Amino acid sequence: MLLQLKNIFKWVNSGGQRVFLLKDINLEVEEGEFISVMGPSGSGKSTLLNVIGMLDTFDEGEYNFLDESVHTLKEKHRSNLYKEYIGFVFQSYHLLDDLTVQENLEMPLLYKKFKGSERKAMVADMLDRFNIVGKKDLFPAQLSGGQQQLVGVARALIANPKLILADEPTGNLNSQQSEEIMELFKKLNQEEGVTIIQVTHSEKNAAYGSRIINLLDGRKV
Amino acid sequence: MIKNYLKVAWRNLIKDRTNTSLNIIGLSTAFAVAILLGMAALYQLSFDNFHENGASIYKIVRTQQTPKGPDAGTSQPAPLAPALEAEVPGVKQITRYLQDGTLAFYNDKEVDMDIVWVDQDFFSMFSFPISNGNETEPLNDLNGVVLTKKAADKLFGSTDIIGKTVNLLVNGTQKPFTVSAITDDIVPQSTLEFEIAARFESHWEYFENKEEWDSQYHNVYVELEDGVTAAAFENSSRSFVDLHYNEGIEMLKRDGASPDSHGRFMDLKLVPMADVHFTSLKNGTVQISRSMPYLILGVAFLILFIACVNYINMSIAKSAKRLKEIGMRKTLGAQKKQLFFQFWSESLFVFAVSIGIGVLLSLVFLNEFKTMFNTHISAEMLWNPIAIISLLGMMLTISMLVGGYPAMLMSRLGTIQSLKGKLESTGSNTVRDVLMVFQFGIAILLIIGTLVLWGQIEYMRNKDLGYDKEQVVSFPLNGKRNSNDVVDLLRDELRGNPDIISVSGADSNLGLGKDGSRSSSKIGFEYKGRVVRSNFLVVDHEYIKTLGLELVAGRDFESAADSLGVVINESMAKELAEEDPLTAQLEIEDGVYYPILGVLKDYNFNDLDKAIEPITFFMSRDWGLTYAYVKVAPNNMAASYDVLERTWKKLEPNATFLGSFLDENVDRTFKREKTTAKMITSGSLIAIVLSCMGLFAMSLLIVSQRTKEIGIRKVVGASVTSITYILTKDFLKLVMLAFLIASPIAWFVMRQWLQNYAYRIDLGAGFFFAAGAIAITIALLTIGTRTIKAARANPVKSLRND
Repeated sequence: MLLQLKNIFKWVNSGGQRVFLLKDINLEVEEGEFISVMGPSGSGKSTLLNVIGMLDTFDEGEYNFLDESVHTLKEKHRSNLYKEYIGFVFQSYHLLDDLTVQENLEMPLLYKKFKGSERKAMVADMLDRFNIVGKKDLFPAQLSGGQQQLVGVARALIANPKLILADEPTGNLNSQQSEEIMELFKKLNQEEGVTIIQVTHSEKNAAYGSRIINLLDGRKV
Repeated sequence: MIKNYLKVAWRNLIKDRTNTSLNIIGLSTAFAVAILLGMAALYQLSFDNFHENGASIYKIVRTQQTPKGPDAGTSQPAPLAPALEAEVPGVKQITRYLQDGTLAFYNDKEVDMDIVWVDQDFFSMFSFPISNGNETEPLNDLNGVVLTKKAADKLFGSTDIIGKTVNLLVNGTQKPFTVSAITDDIVPQSTLEFEIAARFESHWEYFENKEEWDSQYHNVYVELEDGVTAAAFENSSRSFVDLHYNEGIEMLKRDGASPDSHGRFMDLKLVPMADVHFTSLKNGTVQISRSMPYLILGVAFLILFIACVNYINMSIAKSAKRLKEIGMRKTLGAQKKQLFFQFWSESLFVFAVSIGIGVLLSLVFLNEFKTMFNTHISAEMLWNPIAIISLLGMMLTISMLVGGYPAMLMSRLGTIQSLKGKLESTGSNTVRDVLMVFQFGIAILLIIGTLVLWGQIEYMRNKDLGYDKEQVVSFPLNGKRNSNDVVDLLRDELRGNPDIISVSGADSNLGLGKDGSRSSSKIGFEYKGRVVRSNFLVVDHEYIKTLGLELVAGRDFESAADSLGVVINESMAKELAEEDPLTAQLEIEDGVYYPILGVLKDYNFNDLDKAIEPITFFMSRDWGLTYAYVKVAPNNMAASYDVLERTWKKLEPNATFLGSFLDENVDRTFKREKTTAKMITSGSLIAIVLSCMGLFAMSLLIVSQRTKEIGIRKVVGASVTSITYILTKDFLKLVMLAFLIASPIAWFVMRQWLQNYAYRIDLGAGFFFAAGAIAITIALLTIGTRTIKAARANPVKSLRND
């Protein structure tokens, strides 16, 4: 089992009242799954994804990731854990504007303390694999949205994570671009066995997954 | 990793050119100013610390309790030094020190020189290295003299002159001395200065004063034996004082003086050599104050602080733009520590560049700075390891403090929050506001300081001193002729010239002349059973007329027969407490009674930091004159000055003419105040410019952050004025608050400073309001341009961004 959520609650206090963002979430994810999380705006999809990605905390419950109990870890260990095993893809790509494509790809490796030569080889490999060698010295602003997201996915993949978390990865793309990205995800999942959890509004995109989780007001339905 | 940091830092800085250049310009200016001011302050603080035995050398001050309160003096009688050495334990070496000017003759050459008359121990006590000649005891021969290299070059044209004879003008006659040694030139940080040093015993006044405890005319420096403290020595000198000054102490008791807290009427006090430069004898007590150099250091720190505040504020404000980066780096696994290090390294980069430019700027402006502020700092002060290490240390510390705070704020942000690009801005705004209040508070403080300082200086310049300072030229009688004769000759030469009104002389100058020397003499004598003290001035005919002094009773000296009479001022008359002072007879010398011929209206013969003291004029040819005074007609003053110079050249062909108008002399006496004022003025100018740069950058950022708000307000119907008001109001509040905080502090500090002057301006509300108005106007102008532009922009444009 890759990860397990047990009775996860998350709330904020607003006007003296507890507003639940996540309510009693139980979820088990096996390696090699491709899960789509769906639900209307404000149902807690992104929050769930952030909790799984350890970017956000929760107030109650247990979270085990590869036999580590995340809820007992300190921030430093948590960040070691997620930078080791998890790659993120965002709706608005979140590439660093000041860095070129190549440098953006290199960045996660810097935080993992890879050697210079290794980094070069891995970046070159990734550029090759995604067919963006010609764009390596361009800055994000010089790329189209689809190309930017391609770089975003490449960046998420570069350190060989076990899990990819994608928060509406095609939200800012046109239909053709989104199809390309979804095909890419499918290929990664099927051919390379990468576990993927994506948040999406689109039924069509959700269909790429092997399992769909529906959320409403922070609850699994 | 570091490469990546630098790359990101560099690209960020380049992208935000306006802010980066504002930051770098501000910081480099501040560093340059701080480096220059710091050097000036350290230079001041390093006075007299080159003496190897300095820690055990002291200057002797005699303090006494007079009926009018405590009194202190550094002038000592000739027998004191030998008696101390013989009778009080703990003296290792001791020297008398009498500063004087003399004429030195070699072949046909005749040169004005500063001479000191000292004892044999002088060169073994103080570290004036002998470069040539008798190194161990250069002054063991009574006729030996020591010259500095510069003096030797001036007089002999070479330094290979050991054993040669030099003639010195001693009391009007030439006397031969033998050069026994040459010293290195005296460093500028030395209180003791001379061109020639000769034996104290060879001074012409030595013989008559050898055993005279009442005649005090030189300083004494003592070096104590190892392990003897100044306090221990002062204690063991008490019975010595009681013995030798017995007569004086009895008189003090009789006249009703009250003893000090130790029950003492008279004491010898030791002032450590390191403190001598900072010592003043104000109000009769020894006061050591290094406030001047520390004030300069303080201004340097304030300016650095202002520039650093700019940097902090701009970094915090800018951080909003980098939230996405922070969030992204965190999701990629960056830890707090790594983010902190990244942002800090950016600051370090900016600071390194700024310090580099700052050092360059300070070197470029070094010479201007030196002339403007009369300091002798040099570039070498920056090139020693200590200076370099402390500069690097300063860079690390400041960038750690200043860059560290925004870096900490940024690295602390939550991942999700920063990815969303939203900043909880409440906390950091308080810090920003506090810092800005501080910044403007400092600027306002400095403005008030500037205004008050210049106010006082202008007041002192324009104050009616009671004598004519505009039309009178004074110059030192630095030739070889007898001083009274030469004044007579001068009078004869100038007679008939319609532009010359009158000529006279005296034995001290008014203000500070071009020769840069000052002296004053005091006497004390018995009058009706008590001691009366007065300043003592020897004058020539027509002194009162030349200076335009006003007689309130009696008459001026009229003929040579009046040489046994005196003219006194009103303060002296008060001191005598006679109904008709003209009836009084003063027993100045034993058995010789001087009638009072006239009483003068009080005039400020001292600097304006002192109240008017009693003064007594004598007109005897026995004591000699040292300065000539010439009153010229108000027209053709420059031509008259040239006439004087030519006449002096004719009478004393080898002497330099050092004449200057008395108003210039008076101006020279507050050179120190002027230097301080100049420093504070430039400091406050820079402080204001830096603060405004910060304010400007801040208003840019705020306006860009509030573009949407401005757009919405305009759509709803707000006018340009009201929007400008809304945008400006917050900043103006801060400036007002700064003013409210700074004013009382400024009031307190300036009031303290003005206490130093017996004649001073009122610390009126005008200064404060003027400073406040200046600060607010400048702030308004700075913010105004940007905000009005923003307020006038088309709202459709600003709203379209969303």
